[in-house]
Amino acid sequence: MWLLAIPAFTGRLGANPLETLLHESGEIAIWTLGAVLALSPLRVLFPNSRIMTALNRHRRIIGVTACIYGLLHFSFHVLYEGGLDGLARSLSKPFIWFGAAGLTILVILTLTSNQWSIRALGGKNWKLLHRLGYVAAGLLIYHQAIAGKGHWPIARWLLFPLAALQLARLAKRLSGKKRPDVPRRMSQKGLQAVQIPSSVRFR
Amino acid sequence: MRKAEAGRPWEMPDCAVTPEAQYVRRREFLRLFGYGLAGTALLPATMRAAFAGFPDSLNPSFKLDGVKLTPEDSITSYNNFYEWGFAKGQPKELSNRGWKAEPWTLELGGLCANPQKIGINDLIKLVGGIERRNYRHRCVEAWSMVIPWDGFPLAKLIDLAQPKLEAKYVKFTSFFDPEQCPGQRSNDLPWPYTEALTLPEAMNELAFLATGLYGKPLRNQNGAPIRLVVPWKYGFKSAKSLVKIEFVSDQPKITWNELAPNEYGFYANVNPNVDHPRWSQASERVIGGGFFSGKQPTLMFNGYEKQVAHLYAGMDLRRNF
Repeated sequence: MWLLAIPAFTGRLGANPLETLLHESGEIAIWTLGAVLALSPLRVLFPNSRIMTALNRHRRIIGVTACIYGLLHFSFHVLYEGGLDGLARSLSKPFIWFGAAGLTILVILTLTSNQWSIRALGGKNWKLLHRLGYVAAGLLIYHQAIAGKGHWPIARWLLFPLAALQLARLAKRLSGKKRPDVPRRMSQKGLQAVQIPSSVRFR
Repeated sequence: MRKAEAGRPWEMPDCAVTPEAQYVRRREFLRLFGYGLAGTALLPATMRAAFAGFPDSLNPSFKLDGVKLTPEDSITSYNNFYEWGFAKGQPKELSNRGWKAEPWTLELGGLCANPQKIGINDLIKLVGGIERRNYRHRCVEAWSMVIPWDGFPLAKLIDLAQPKLEAKYVKFTSFFDPEQCPGQRSNDLPWPYTEALTLPEAMNELAFLATGLYGKPLRNQNGAPIRLVVPWKYGFKSAKSLVKIEFVSDQPKITWNELAPNEYGFYANVNPNVDHPRWSQASERVIGGGFFSGKQPTLMFNGYEKQVAHLYAGMDLRRNF
């Protein structure tokens, strides 16, 4: 919040302040989402890094932060359009659908980011549900890329690194299966057995 | 007409651009002697030209009654000028780190009887000085401003160049300076930036070449030293920092149209009924409004329907967007 609040109070939002808030909140949301999605592949790639292990314990709060900024971004959009008329008009555009769909996923994931939901759904289902985070990222990166004139050059800085991390993780998993000395948590069963309870224990 | 070719722009003394203090003093002088604002119109054209056109006088036909001018600070800090970067604040920040719009030569060429290379101050002299016009400015991104431009009608420059009969379009080319211009070092857009109008569009009384705004020479971020202003079209048609104006027989390739023809048409007339494929064009955010000001309805041809609608009579504006 302070990232937005500080320039707002010091009057450094420029000639179109509401647009600045709209864009910045969206940017923060999507980069925060990118960060949280980068954490699991990074941990897989660097299983012995303490930093990665430590950061991974905070995935929940980072993910929830992305969602909060996303909701803020949506509120600024409503304000920017100046009411229901504008909002209704904006809903006719695919770029808004992608944003809305992505945000809906983030809200569902946020609402289920608690121990009760994990227990109610079961670790396996919960994990499957939360894989929707990647779907949300895809939708939102597309949303960002088509949001304005020349936005793709910005969006690709998020898409390519995330895709590269996923590919590296996949490559490591495929090659890791052949090696017997792979750490236990990296195997498929290990992931489910170790990862979920550890995030539960964190709270 | 051709004598200007001899006068190189760097032969023009720096004092050609009136310092602001002097500008203000001169106004005061005129008022004291009872000439008032109208007095500037009585001065011989040559005398006005000696000050590179400043001060100018408001052309009463383009006063835009009842419309609030956008603050100067907003006009000079919120710019789409991708040569200097994608963000709105970057042009102001990055174009003022030593890049110079002087000396500057504008080339008139192509299918015309009077091709020439000419300095901006000489050009202003030749067209008989500059005037002020308040124009609405509507960006394709659905925001708008009202800007007091200083400059002269494009038609005057066309008269100077004397296009041949085969000339059907006027092509505008912006500067290319990748060494100093960070945006031009990437290939995100095909540089240099080019735009074009049909000859009848270019001859329309509204088509304008601006050399200043708010009574001061154009700032780099606004397209110094000379830029096109076509107020009934989306802002991207108004190419900045022009180095070349050419007369051609076929519709030229232009930057945004080439990049995304389904989104940015050749005409790019402001039209609230034809949406951009990705966002609505029915309304616009007025720069300078508050947090709760919302958007205002966009006007057909940006409010200049009377002056320009005849140019497109019988044309399907949905297809020729």
